[in-house]
Amino acid sequence: MKHSIPMLLTVLAAFTGTARAKLSVVTTLADYAALAREIGGDHVDITSMAKPTEDPHFVDARPSFVVKLRSADILIEGGAELEVGWLPPLLQTARNPKLEAGAVGRVQAAEGIRLLDVPATLSRAAGDVHASGNPHFMVDPIIAKAVAAHIARAFAAADPANAASYATNEKKFEATIDAKLQDWGRALLPFRGQHLAAYHDDWLYFARRFGFDVDVFLEPKPGVPPSPSHLAEVIGKIKAEKIKAIIVEPYHNRKIAEKVASSTGAHVVEAAQYPDGLPNTATYVELIDVLVTRLTTALKN
Amino acid sequence: MWDVMMWPILACVLLPGLLVYLGMHVVRRGIIFIDIAMAQMASLGVCFAVMKHMDLDSPLTFWISLGFTLLAAALFAFTGKRNGEVPQEAIIGIAYVVAAATSVILLSQSTEGDEQIKNMLIGNILLVTKEEIFRTLGLFVGVGVFHWFLRKRFMLLSFAPAQAAASGMRVKLWDFLFYATFGLVVTSFVQIVGVLLVFTYLIVPAVCGVLTAQRFGVRLAIGVVLSLIGGVTGLMISFYKDLPSGAAIVCVFGVLLVLAGLVSLFVRPKPPPSPSA
Repeated sequence: MKHSIPMLLTVLAAFTGTARAKLSVVTTLADYAALAREIGGDHVDITSMAKPTEDPHFVDARPSFVVKLRSADILIEGGAELEVGWLPPLLQTARNPKLEAGAVGRVQAAEGIRLLDVPATLSRAAGDVHASGNPHFMVDPIIAKAVAAHIARAFAAADPANAASYATNEKKFEATIDAKLQDWGRALLPFRGQHLAAYHDDWLYFARRFGFDVDVFLEPKPGVPPSPSHLAEVIGKIKAEKIKAIIVEPYHNRKIAEKVASSTGAHVVEAAQYPDGLPNTATYVELIDVLVTRLTTALKN
Repeated sequence: MWDVMMWPILACVLLPGLLVYLGMHVVRRGIIFIDIAMAQMASLGVCFAVMKHMDLDSPLTFWISLGFTLLAAALFAFTGKRNGEVPQEAIIGIAYVVAAATSVILLSQSTEGDEQIKNMLIGNILLVTKEEIFRTLGLFVGVGVFHWFLRKRFMLLSFAPAQAAASGMRVKLWDFLFYATFGLVVTSFVQIVGVLLVFTYLIVPAVCGVLTAQRFGVRLAIGVVLSLIGGVTGLMISFYKDLPSGAAIVCVFGVLLVLAGLVSLFVRPKPPPSPSA
């Protein structure tokens, strides 16, 4: 009985010791969380704020987000205005100096990545609110590798004791992607050059990597329902370009896609930009696997 | 808990009092959806400014939005007839749908992404900042003082309209002042807490007061106390169960209304059955 208290203290110390050693990582979206899991393994504790089935442009803040941000060591965000509508007020409320812009703990995935569709002029009259370019870059596996490297560097800087482990995991992820790229490329090769339709303009990086052209969009603008004339135009284009697949995501209006599909003969492909947004896609590689499979199935028909 | 929820709790304690008071008027006048119509008019103003390529947070955008709110106030004051076959609530509903539809059309024509606009129009109580609370509190104190000094006229207008008209006061002008101040309060509150909460704070405490008491002062006191209980309880539940804060508060108010209904079965003498029924 006498030694039970010191023992208890040792056990407690061991627990709090490991708890403290774990890096606390918050990510805005599920794709960054999936990569952080690959790199961090058991050394990090990861929370993703947006659910994989939630529209990344609109995320409902909950109290736990503020709590997590307050004690986080690292925040991983896209950084290309995708989360501009909801992340800044959360950060303002959380006031964590470790996550300030430019701090070691603030990982902006878009940093160092050449974004597509950067508006030529920055005048508001010219349009696009995503002034830094299209922010949906993570579905390109080669960009994902670069982001993984970026995350590994940030983890190593914040937690030098485990730097070797982060570097190893990153190399492993890179090797997996390199091997998988062969498979994915082979599977999609027969459909190279085909045109695709999508609900929202967020597949251009995927399309560029695998040689597609996604150039018909069901929504004229995010959140704005298509007007009848826009739908007629979309249907006309799909017929003219003999498009076989319409990509929709969980938070898009499926009914519109089905309406267009039924009047054109194209197939609705349920896709997701985020791991776990579809069944059996817990990791990044599994997600791309499923996307490739679904797309080839639709295009074969 | 405290460090995350301090400002939301403070907002829920300091700000709703004026809404509960205005809610008494709104319930009495039977114009339940006026707040949503007003908020929609204000957001139509913002959409209009965006169409003209103004920045969302520029002062001009604010003034345009205010202008649209005053326009709505004028519309409701001058169309608000207290008799006839078209209830004022119909005009309010029409103003709401037309303003909402016009916003959709404007946004579909604008080249801007509209996520920022949506986020700006619909606040989240969880993320309220110190500056927002004190700015809004300043405005509410101003409007509150205005209503305090002119309370006799506003009360007459809402609670005895026939008498108000007979007394020779300029009903439409005073109605306009009521709607204008009301619009100011509602649109500034919507920006920090969202539409659901504004509606809840206006209507639920007032209805609870009407259900459980007869005198205006007692009703108001009951409403204010319930608004404090509902807000703080809702925030606590939102924190400990990790639920969206605004929605949690609204649901607590729903429960409070049911409780008030049960209490009313015992405390309030039943009104005599009306002969016309």
